[in-house]
Amino acid sequence: MHPRRSLTTTQAAFVLFIAAIVAACGGSGSSLSPTAGATEPGATEAPPTEAPTEVPPDQVTGNLTVLEWPGYETTDFWPDFGTKYKNVNVSFQFGSTDAEIYGHMKASPEQYDLFHQYTGWLQFDVDEGLAAEIDTSKLKNWDKVPDAFKKIGQVNGKQYFVPWDWGFSSILYRTDKIPSVDSWGVLLDPQYKGHLSMWDDGPGAVTVSAYVHGYDETNITDDQLAAIKAEWTAQAKLNKTYWTAPSDLESLMNSGDVWAGYAWQGSYAVTKGAGTPVAYANPKEGRNSWVGLYGISSKTQNMDLALRFLDEKLGLLTNQNLVKLYYYGSARQDVMDGLNDAAQADAYGGAETQALLKDTFSIDDPSILQHTNFTPNLTADQRDAWTAMWTEVKAAQ
Amino acid sequence: MTAATEQLPTGAGRSTDPRRRTFWLLSLPSAVGLGLFLILPILFMVALSFRNDLSGQLLAPFAPTLKQYAKVFDTGSYWNLLGISTLMAFGVATVATLAAYPLAYFLAFRAGRRAGLYLILLLVPFWTSYLLRVMAWRLMLDSSGVVNSVLIGLGLTQDPLDLLYNRGAVVVTLIYVWIPFAMLPILAAMGRIDVRLHDAASDLYASPWQQLLRVTLPLSLPGIVAAFFMVFIPTVGEYVTPLLVGGTGGSMYGNIVQAFFVQAANWPLGAALSVIMLATTLLLVVIGLRIVQPRRLLAQ
Repeated sequence: MHPRRSLTTTQAAFVLFIAAIVAACGGSGSSLSPTAGATEPGATEAPPTEAPTEVPPDQVTGNLTVLEWPGYETTDFWPDFGTKYKNVNVSFQFGSTDAEIYGHMKASPEQYDLFHQYTGWLQFDVDEGLAAEIDTSKLKNWDKVPDAFKKIGQVNGKQYFVPWDWGFSSILYRTDKIPSVDSWGVLLDPQYKGHLSMWDDGPGAVTVSAYVHGYDETNITDDQLAAIKAEWTAQAKLNKTYWTAPSDLESLMNSGDVWAGYAWQGSYAVTKGAGTPVAYANPKEGRNSWVGLYGISSKTQNMDLALRFLDEKLGLLTNQNLVKLYYYGSARQDVMDGLNDAAQADAYGGAETQALLKDTFSIDDPSILQHTNFTPNLTADQRDAWTAMWTEVKAAQ
Repeated sequence: MTAATEQLPTGAGRSTDPRRRTFWLLSLPSAVGLGLFLILPILFMVALSFRNDLSGQLLAPFAPTLKQYAKVFDTGSYWNLLGISTLMAFGVATVATLAAYPLAYFLAFRAGRRAGLYLILLLVPFWTSYLLRVMAWRLMLDSSGVVNSVLIGLGLTQDPLDLLYNRGAVVVTLIYVWIPFAMLPILAAMGRIDVRLHDAASDLYASPWQQLLRVTLPLSLPGIVAAFFMVFIPTVGEYVTPLLVGGTGGSMYGNIVQAFFVQAANWPLGAALSVIMLATTLLLVVIGLRIVQPRRLLAQ
């Protein structure tokens, strides 16, 4: 007689198999850099072309790989290219932070044709030879971009990047909890203990402290950095949570758990649109502003297609979508000007949305933009030191 | 055995054994996979930790430096957090293993023919994303979440409790996530127990409690040890759960490593921190195994 067992060998093997699968997958948590599927299967490789304007768009074929931020792959963000170049296969790979985008480019620039980076990181891309200089004469929409924006895409006097999206950083606050906010210092104010939320970012924290104390953001000394570290270590006791995705902050603002937080302008539009009593501060130190730009990989084999993609990224519908659907600012001046034109309300989702967008970008008060601090490029030493400072702040809790 | 084979050295005789050849052939794909996707990346990470910075080609030769390790050794808060993370992992692994044991016992000895069905039901959460399972706990522990709503509804508290965004939330969530996982090796160990031993113990007038303590528990100890370490090891380096439910004061060591990789692009320092965590975890596992001596347990 065989011994009676409650589990058969097959069942035990199944258990071990499941254990092995779980061991491989369980702790990884998330996959932050998936590969998106191709949008136009069956397309063929395009021969390189010297003059992009000579080939009709519907005859252009090929593959483009864009290193993007998650969410930006939506066709709403490139409708002009998608409808015009139907036979081009656009695929996306992702990085969820500037450092990840930079890291992917650093590891394998030949895998990507274009990449999306934000101010503060452009110098690294150029210094490491990851970005190709852009021939803007091939961009028909280039004249829609104001010179001030064009300059932001220049490194070492050359145009390496095409500006596309931009926005503010400031303080989003609940007007039913805090009457008014006129300084970044509210994020450090003990009277709002447990109801503050800071962005989980070392350079962001240094920027806030620099504004509050009048430090030169581009030349933070060791003593100032030590003071900033102490300041944010103390602030951690006041902070509800550091947010990593704007949706986290928006949820906390809507629920009333957080009364004031470091925020991008999109969060203001989202929370206000949800009916939450919020305001977006105009601090006396000035708001911060950042710009997103596209670069062409120095190792691309599809320079012509990449230029066509960039040109259409500056297309009208693409940029109207950027503003009306996702509450980002556009590098196209006429698109931002359209927010002031009641006749164009339909292009911005109707009069109500247009009014919300006007408010979000402070269109009626140009002095705000004039008083805004634009994010400077970091050096590698600053980037490392500021992030190390931030990790020490978090590790000290 | 022929004279020719008698003259062969012992090792040569083994290599001609068709079963061994099949074993090596079958092992080859997994060995190559492990080498390429586990050993090689770890070696790459170790090499990375001796770089001065990230400039230049990643695979080009470089002058090794201990700068990153010096930075880690100089920063007491990193060590403090490594200690806290290790303690949290110890607590999570202990509670998850304790909670998993009755489940495994039920499936192994009480569920009968429905054991397979119950096992699948217990594993259903694994069919959803890990992130979703963690996010579900935000809905549970939020100020307007399920737990607070119940507490307020029952009149046990007037204001919502701060259940989310602290280390307690991280520990609770991790325990939930790991319980089914911890159950599997215990269940596998119990599956190997000859249940006639229970009958024998019963014939000798052992109470059910004595049967558990004197028969089942000792024989399932290898599974318990495996479950503990299978939870403990990945939890030390956990970063997703603290990121989502830990809040300001709930960071773990893995979050520091993550910050240097995905926020600062300071891979060398992140790699040095990872190597230290790997070495610490390995050391703790070796110490743990020396204490519990699984060979002795298996011999039982």
